[in-house]
Amino acid sequence: MADTPQPPPGAAQGAPPGAEDEERAGTLGPPRWLSLVFLLPALLFLGAYMVYPILFSVYRSLWDAAGTQFVWFDNYAEMFTSPGTFIALRNNAVWVVVAPIVVTVAGLIFAVLTERIRWATAFKLVVFMPMAVSFLASGVIFRLVYEQDPERGLANAVITTVQDTVSPAGAYPDARPREEGDLPALPGGGYRAPGEVSAGQGVAIGLVGVAPDDLPGDAAPAAEPRPGGPDAITGTVWLDFTPGGGGEEGAVDPEEKGLPGMEVRLVSGGEVRATARTAPDGSFAFEDVGSGAHTVQLSERNFTPPYAGVTWLGPTLVTPAIIGAYLWVWAGFAMVLIAAGLAAIPRDALEAARVDGATEWQVFRRVTVPLLSPVLMVVFVTLMIYVLKIFDLVFVIAPGSVQADANVLALEMWRVAFGINDQGLGSALAVFLLVLVIPAMVFQIRRFRREGS
Amino acid sequence: MSDDAATTEAPPAAGGGPEPGAEGAPRRTVAARLTGALGSGLAQLLLVLIALFWLVPTLGLFVSSLRTPADNASSGWWTALLEPAQLTLENYARLLDNAVFTGSFLNTILITVPSTLLIVVIAALAAYAFAWLEFPGRDWLFLGVVALLVVPLQVALVPIAQLYGGLGIYGSIAGVVLFHVGFGLPFAIFLLRNFFAAIPRDLLEAARMDGGKEFTIFRRVILPLGGPAIASLTIFQFLWVWNDLLVALVFADAANQPMTKALQAEMRQFGANIDIISSGAFISMLVPLVVFFAFQRYFVQGVMAGAVK
Amino acid sequence: MAEHRKRARGAAAAAAAGLLAVAGCAPGGGEGPAGGGDLAGVQLKVAAKWTGVEQDNFEEVLAGFEEQTGATVSYEPTGEDTGAYLGPKIEAGEPPDVALLPQPGLLAEYAEQDALVPLEGDAAAALEENYTDYWRELGSVDGEAYGILLKAAHKSIVWYRPDAFEAAGVQPPSTWDDMVGTTASTLSDSGTVPFAMCGASGWTLTDWFENVYLSHAGPEKYDRLTAHEIPWTDDSVVQTLETLADVWGEKDFMAGGTDGAVQTDFPTCVSQVYGQQDAAMVFEADFVAANAAEAGAAVGEDALAFPFPAVGEEPPVVVGGDIAVAMSENEGTQELLAYLASPEAQSTWAGLGGYLSANSQVESSAYADEFTQELAQTILDAGENVRYDMSDQVPSRFGATEGRGMWSILQDFLRDPGDPEATAEDLEAAAKEAS
Repeated sequence: MADTPQPPPGAAQGAPPGAEDEERAGTLGPPRWLSLVFLLPALLFLGAYMVYPILFSVYRSLWDAAGTQFVWFDNYAEMFTSPGTFIALRNNAVWVVVAPIVVTVAGLIFAVLTERIRWATAFKLVVFMPMAVSFLASGVIFRLVYEQDPERGLANAVITTVQDTVSPAGAYPDARPREEGDLPALPGGGYRAPGEVSAGQGVAIGLVGVAPDDLPGDAAPAAEPRPGGPDAITGTVWLDFTPGGGGEEGAVDPEEKGLPGMEVRLVSGGEVRATARTAPDGSFAFEDVGSGAHTVQLSERNFTPPYAGVTWLGPTLVTPAIIGAYLWVWAGFAMVLIAAGLAAIPRDALEAARVDGATEWQVFRRVTVPLLSPVLMVVFVTLMIYVLKIFDLVFVIAPGSVQADANVLALEMWRVAFGINDQGLGSALAVFLLVLVIPAMVFQIRRFRREGS
Repeated sequence: MSDDAATTEAPPAAGGGPEPGAEGAPRRTVAARLTGALGSGLAQLLLVLIALFWLVPTLGLFVSSLRTPADNASSGWWTALLEPAQLTLENYARLLDNAVFTGSFLNTILITVPSTLLIVVIAALAAYAFAWLEFPGRDWLFLGVVALLVVPLQVALVPIAQLYGGLGIYGSIAGVVLFHVGFGLPFAIFLLRNFFAAIPRDLLEAARMDGGKEFTIFRRVILPLGGPAIASLTIFQFLWVWNDLLVALVFADAANQPMTKALQAEMRQFGANIDIISSGAFISMLVPLVVFFAFQRYFVQGVMAGAVK
Repeated sequence: MAEHRKRARGAAAAAAAGLLAVAGCAPGGGEGPAGGGDLAGVQLKVAAKWTGVEQDNFEEVLAGFEEQTGATVSYEPTGEDTGAYLGPKIEAGEPPDVALLPQPGLLAEYAEQDALVPLEGDAAAALEENYTDYWRELGSVDGEAYGILLKAAHKSIVWYRPDAFEAAGVQPPSTWDDMVGTTASTLSDSGTVPFAMCGASGWTLTDWFENVYLSHAGPEKYDRLTAHEIPWTDDSVVQTLETLADVWGEKDFMAGGTDGAVQTDFPTCVSQVYGQQDAAMVFEADFVAANAAEAGAAVGEDALAFPFPAVGEEPPVVVGGDIAVAMSENEGTQELLAYLASPEAQSTWAGLGGYLSANSQVESSAYADEFTQELAQTILDAGENVRYDMSDQVPSRFGATEGRGMWSILQDFLRDPGDPEATAEDLEAAAKEAS
């Protein structure tokens, strides 16, 4: 088997325990009491730390929080009815179904991809490395990755960079009219100056909500909006807020600055007639506008907020996000086991299939995967057992505000037993976890007996 | 996939060439090689991306640990790659000045080393008995050990906490160590027993014939031959205990807490404590990383033996 | 160097304690703590959540006891989650002799589990003499006195950045309507986000709720809701939630919008105001001062605070704090509690800073700085109308547990304040489940 260290040269593979027992007994075998000497320390530990606790937990789970009242199965009933535990149960189900599949598939892909690569060893080392460090450290690493602010979190930094290249943010994402409705909002974003204007008129568009520090460096004191030539429509877009307060709302006050670089559109009859950009003092002008009524609009592009990224650690995505971190930790384990399985597949079987004219994909599906299935099964079951008990990663990655949404059984057990000190319910949860691993226990025993005999 | 590409490539050549059979074959191989190289190039590229996905987050932690809290609060760690001047060892200096943290580092060692040694010694003895000694119910007992492999340690938290209270070792390092030994044993026995059982019978018989005492045989024959397995087990257990959080959370009090627990306490205020957390987490990773790269073969074997634990 | 400094400061404090002991004994009528080495050789363990400077100061106060009695007191920090620290210790039968509980709710739970020892002798007398009825009842279960509110936290203040207020031309508001109306919208117009929220730390949200509720519904209803004599579906609760939505529902009023508000923990929210200067105000207790200083602000100049504005007729005064209890019957435990409850010990502490007392015998002049003196005065002035933090009085699994009860329900409400009635129902369900 790939999963045990290589025995020394010349070793008889899997020497059967007890096959020749009768023959050996009584001849050269050491006295029986000696076995006890060898076994005693281990048996003491196993008895005290595993057998006794299992029995005691079952017993304790039938008593109330303080341990003074026998409550039969109340703790188990509460476990399935209390909303907090229910979320933990649901999340555990998601974990157990999704995480082992994702990790096994990733391990399979990595193992296949690395088969013919020269730097496979280096790659395997890199991917296996997280197995060596603590879940706490891995959790910290991913907490940094998942940070919401794209300025700090790597995942959102990458996503927002891509997104902002596709649709860049505007220069004034925070700018807005003082009161909602001062400037009617356009359906697709942006604002429109109230009413209609025609040649010879001036328009004043005051906005607020921009911090003085956020103004472009060239912003100059706002120009008083005054009518231009007879064929022109002119105006000013400015920050209608006097630093330190005061100032008249809707009027350009001496200390107020223009909003340079604002994209202004002249629209009539539903069509854009002209586009202009404001000067450092916020002024703009449309020449030769002809007769008729127009509207002046500030295009939505000025206000496009920068993409804020994905809320990885919000209530909806927190579990998938932590599963992502789990993949990062465990993929190396799956990969190495599967790669060892792959190496053990006889070349002849593959060649035979190829000679029969099967494509590589068919060979993979029909020959490789079936031959690998015992290994895949071991990987899968192992992962399931570990996933059932998942604790550290959830505890470390999920911020306080979403711990309830990210809750899992092992975490809930710890919280209940040692946070709110309900050892009855805590024991019930622990027993439930034990019951959940029993199928794996059976699988394990069967595998062992099969290999042993 | 490469075969598909090769066959679609073939017909025009076959149509044009005077000797289709003779020329088709080499062309096929060239095409196959081409697509093969292309495919492998693609695979290489993919693997490079995947490797980056594994390396960059770790690098992020490391770089963050070299930046001041103010820098970390205002910009991403990657900006430091463009302005390396902002990197500083300040966080580490402060961490080493922090008695809670240095104490917890020491505690981690005080917990990890004895746990590992005890597990290896006790498990080796038991594994020898299971592999080479005769006693009634041996196979059933060993099956019991196999069954215990998967028992979640949650089941022991409440009972052992009460037991420790009665014994007066609650919160102590000894309590944490003993708990690790208890829960490390099934796997350790399982691993070593399988390995010991594979040692050639002749060697043992010969030693017994020579009148060797069982302990002498154990020491002179089994332990040396079992070297690789014991190395795997040692490294695996060392890292397992070093990295543990849950057992420490429950059984170690503030004076005896290992690094993992000390760092976890800072997580509640992740944003504000990022300086301690990042540098502390990185220090806590150093030993495992050194052990891993130095003994990777043994560690990988240990982990793989842990499949279906 | 550090060693030297510490010793010097310790000496100064001891001298101060000596002076105050003389002054403080007069009203108490000679009922001072046990004196003169009669506890020599006794070892006591005290556990509290304080670390850093807070721990240093507390240890100096403890040193006073050691000096008077000859006992040795060792301090153990519990970490943030006192319940999680003490729970296993109680289970194991090895609790510290004296523990500082951050919640009366925890006190009630432990009293029920027989994990606490009632106050006796000098300790009971000190509580009787130095504390008002409200505080005495707070530390009692079924008429038996267990706890002494040792260190108070003033939870009814809003911290702000004066330069942001100046730039917007606004003044600290005195009513809720002003705060969420003119003040917030003018700040927003000026380009500064009005509030930094600490939503990831659930307890800060309960503090918001309690202040609004106390001011809106009055102390009497506050007590009834705390005792769950009125349901959480009561109109007053729904109205309080609606009021909170004035801020919580305005994503432009919160740094980082709704997502940012829910994901920011305490004290990161403080550094959003005083470090990154992303917002103008942050609501939390007096202890924000330490975090503001850490973020680089000079408290009293760059970091100022105004009282939580009145929602109803009176502005609220909500106080939190740590309650000292005896967890063992070991010799010296009651004497230590008596000492801690004394005005002398607390005045020493007040002089060291970072401390607020609920002891009516501690004069406001005992405090080192003007700001704390004012805070102490508001507590003394509010008298019978002061209330203790509600979330810390209810069972901890409802009021003070990560991911449960009030914390998580209010976090959900901050995420989407659309349906106050449904939120009130959730609160009622959680309160019922926890009782």
